[in-house]
Amino acid sequence: MISAITTNLPVFIIIAPLFVAFVLPTWAQRKRLVENLVISVEILMLLGTCYLASIVLLQKGIPIIYQMGGWSAPWGIELKVGSLGTFFLLTVAIVSLPVALFARGNLTHEVGGKERVARFYVLYLLLIGALGGMALTNDLFNVYVLVEVATLSCCGLVSARNHPRAAKATFTYLILATLGSCLVMGGIGFIYIVTGHLNMGFASQELGRIWQNNPRVVWMAFSFMLVGFGVKSALFPLHVWLPDAHSVAPSPASAILSGLAVKGYLICLLKVLYNVFGFYLMRVYSVHKIMVLVGMVAIISGSISALTQEDLKRRLAFSTVAQVGYIFLGFGLLNTKGLTGTLFYLASHAVIKSTLFLSAGAMLNATGKKNIKDLSGIGRKMPITTAAFTISSLGLIGIPLFSGFVGKWQLLMGSMETGSILPVSVIISGSVLCAAYLFPVIRIAYFGTAPEKDCKDPNLPQKLALIFLSAAIVFLGVIPGSFLELANRAAAELLVLR
Amino acid sequence: MLSLIIALFSGAVGGLVVAMIPETKNRLRNYIVLFFAASSTFFTWRTAFMVFAGESVRVAGELGGLAFSLDPDPLGAVFGLIASTLWPFTAVYSFGYMAGKHKQRTFFTFFLMSLTMTLGVAFSGNLIALYLFYELLTFATYPLVIHERSAEAMKAGAKYILYSLSGAGAILIAIVLTYAWSGKLDFSGGPILANSLSPGLNWLLVLFVGGFGVKAAIMPLHRWLPAAMVAPTPVSALLHAVAVVYSGVYGVLRTVYSVFGHELIGQLGIRNILPWIAVITILAGIVIAARQDVLKRRLAYQTVSHLSYILLGAFILNEWGLAGAIFHMISYSTLKIALFFCAGIISEKTGEIKVSKMGGIGRSLPKTMVAFSIATMGMIGMLPLNTFWGKYYLMKGSVGAGKWPLAVVLIISGILNAICFVPVIINAFKGECTKTNGEKGGGVSLMLAPTLVLVIVALLIGLMPGIVWPGVEAVVNWFY
Repeated sequence: MISAITTNLPVFIIIAPLFVAFVLPTWAQRKRLVENLVISVEILMLLGTCYLASIVLLQKGIPIIYQMGGWSAPWGIELKVGSLGTFFLLTVAIVSLPVALFARGNLTHEVGGKERVARFYVLYLLLIGALGGMALTNDLFNVYVLVEVATLSCCGLVSARNHPRAAKATFTYLILATLGSCLVMGGIGFIYIVTGHLNMGFASQELGRIWQNNPRVVWMAFSFMLVGFGVKSALFPLHVWLPDAHSVAPSPASAILSGLAVKGYLICLLKVLYNVFGFYLMRVYSVHKIMVLVGMVAIISGSISALTQEDLKRRLAFSTVAQVGYIFLGFGLLNTKGLTGTLFYLASHAVIKSTLFLSAGAMLNATGKKNIKDLSGIGRKMPITTAAFTISSLGLIGIPLFSGFVGKWQLLMGSMETGSILPVSVIISGSVLCAAYLFPVIRIAYFGTAPEKDCKDPNLPQKLALIFLSAAIVFLGVIPGSFLELANRAAAELLVLR
Repeated sequence: MLSLIIALFSGAVGGLVVAMIPETKNRLRNYIVLFFAASSTFFTWRTAFMVFAGESVRVAGELGGLAFSLDPDPLGAVFGLIASTLWPFTAVYSFGYMAGKHKQRTFFTFFLMSLTMTLGVAFSGNLIALYLFYELLTFATYPLVIHERSAEAMKAGAKYILYSLSGAGAILIAIVLTYAWSGKLDFSGGPILANSLSPGLNWLLVLFVGGFGVKAAIMPLHRWLPAAMVAPTPVSALLHAVAVVYSGVYGVLRTVYSVFGHELIGQLGIRNILPWIAVITILAGIVIAARQDVLKRRLAYQTVSHLSYILLGAFILNEWGLAGAIFHMISYSTLKIALFFCAGIISEKTGEIKVSKMGGIGRSLPKTMVAFSIATMGMIGMLPLNTFWGKYYLMKGSVGAGKWPLAVVLIISGILNAICFVPVIINAFKGECTKTNGEKGGGVSLMLAPTLVLVIVALLIGLMPGIVWPGVEAVVNWFY
């Protein structure tokens, strides 16, 4: 029994949230039961992921290959539990548990009655399942399916709030995201045409042999993938849907969308780029240079757009655009340090951005306003929320002691290896700009005149969620230990010459 | 090692304790502030003596996958001594100055927090630790700058944060470059870049000096400093004349002596430009000071000018230059704090902040103005005061390096200082006494006592420079 569970753990981790998502509407009237089910699935997922991560760490990088239904590749579908997969799965589990906890305390307020809450949780679990799948899958068509599942549940989450703006934002998002999916599908199609494989390993081998016969098709595949995933992950000129979608969603949804969903697409892109095309082809087609360039543009323009926003959640949403730029830049660095830093940065941003959105959500709910200037003096009334916001801001700015710095430092070291000082200066200017758009919020919250309205820290589950996430930020910043090790190994595996 | 930890964290722990005491318990809070400031001072002295005796007091660890170490060498010990010794004096002064003012709890919380950050900068053993505390010092002092909460204070605070964080950004770029080129960040075991000859070293030095130069108020990066004078006077005295600005100066000294090493800089093309950057700031600072009517702003521009004396000493790149820089660091800090303390007493007791309206205040505030006059003599560099010796060594260094025009600049600057402040003194003792309320009452004695003690200390050091010489000598021997 036990061994049956442990050997099938990779698939259980993905199936569990999906399965619970399907049965959840049955108990839609029993709110407590629904919430408890969601939380227990999250906890099981976290435990299972920790188990897998420890096995992968102990095996020193040999991945667990799980064959669905016992069919071996290239006919069957593979799940690959390697360093990269467990790393992202761990991020998903660490972030989604406190977000679910937070949602437990706050959803009725933001979303509405029991039915709507249950619907929210269905979408939430579908998204988590899809993200877990993205982490582990080793099959291109699965990537497409999971991307679609994630996109549709994201759209649902954006529209969870009963508000006309939500409908509009969702529609924009739906159109653009579908466009992105089409492009991804097209890219996968091109790869399949040339190689005849959907399994990443086989496709990659085949591609390495025959890419010279069809250089243009490979180039098309590259560009379709980049643009497709670029739209989905809100890369700078393609980000137009994000600020509306992420600011209008209920705060737990914003947290998960900005923190994790975007990262899921980035991990898919990373897998396609490095595991299918391989860094050799990236260099041949100069894809990496494009990515560094686009990343730099995204960092600066995203940060400047964030500076101009008065609405707190929109400011945070634009900050995500800037942070995606860091990750794109890092993906294009093609060296171990750069990739390690990028992966760590990706995980730490997932934690930080969800904390920011959750604490911002708590503040905005308490005041009933949405602009930054309305938060005046809230630091005294809501000490824990504001402290969580401050810690995560310092993390995002990249002060030592907080997780953002660890990733940023490795990223900076990686950028140095490109031989140009430009990426380094852009990354650091991004930090300064980040301070410029987050610090005023802290200043107003702590040093503004106190509000007349009586606001209090949110209820216990929400406080617990904020404390858990802030502790994770500090913990990862001081002793990143095995988490950094996992990122490092994942980066090294991505750069193995095939 | 234990005394290092206690010295460092007294401030932070004290700050947390103060934060928990209710706003109304002023007496209790004052005792606690004094206790933690004094304990930090005591243990800093112990640590410093261990460092001067050649013992290693090193605390190393790992922070976020990076080496992190606290390892004071004589230079760090001297800076730590200056900062931590002046803290209790300022604390006592603040008790008098802040009495009856708003938000005392916030003030003293961050007042103590800043002590930890300043000592952290002083004791840092590698660039990561230095960067961490340098960055945190900005955040810890920000609430002190905006203490008034007026629109002007908020604007000054925004300026302060913007300038400091941009400077810190430049420093971080420089640290990344340093690490990429040399693979090490520790100060121990000779200069970090000693054996590298990369063509970008000139620019790296510019980045470092530019980054630290923000807090060291090198022109044109000084604009935040006069603006920050809206802070309460104890903050202007301790942080904006000593602790914060010295952390910038200290960063430059570290860059010159621990990151590059004076030998390496001696080979760089930029070595001939650096002293002149300091000279421009020295002269321009004091000229602008003379045109200011608000006393605190005049003092602030004088700070800008005098900080560059120390930088000049660092950029001369010889033993006497370094000795002069360290000596000036020690002696200037005692007198400048006293000057600000006097300015605070004047504004509190007579309500005057403008120099032009201070006629005759010497009669109503005799002790304050005597202290002010003595401190001003020190700023000019006259003999019975300690600053004379610093300036003398600096001149000796400039002439020794074959750059006698620098010595002339120092003399001119002394004259300008006299032009700037002697009329204030003459004016103060001239004319009829208009306001009669003198130096009476508990609050005034709390403010006056530290002022007078500091002036007496400065006189003592001036008469017997030997008492601080061992510290200066230890620093010079450490690097030469």
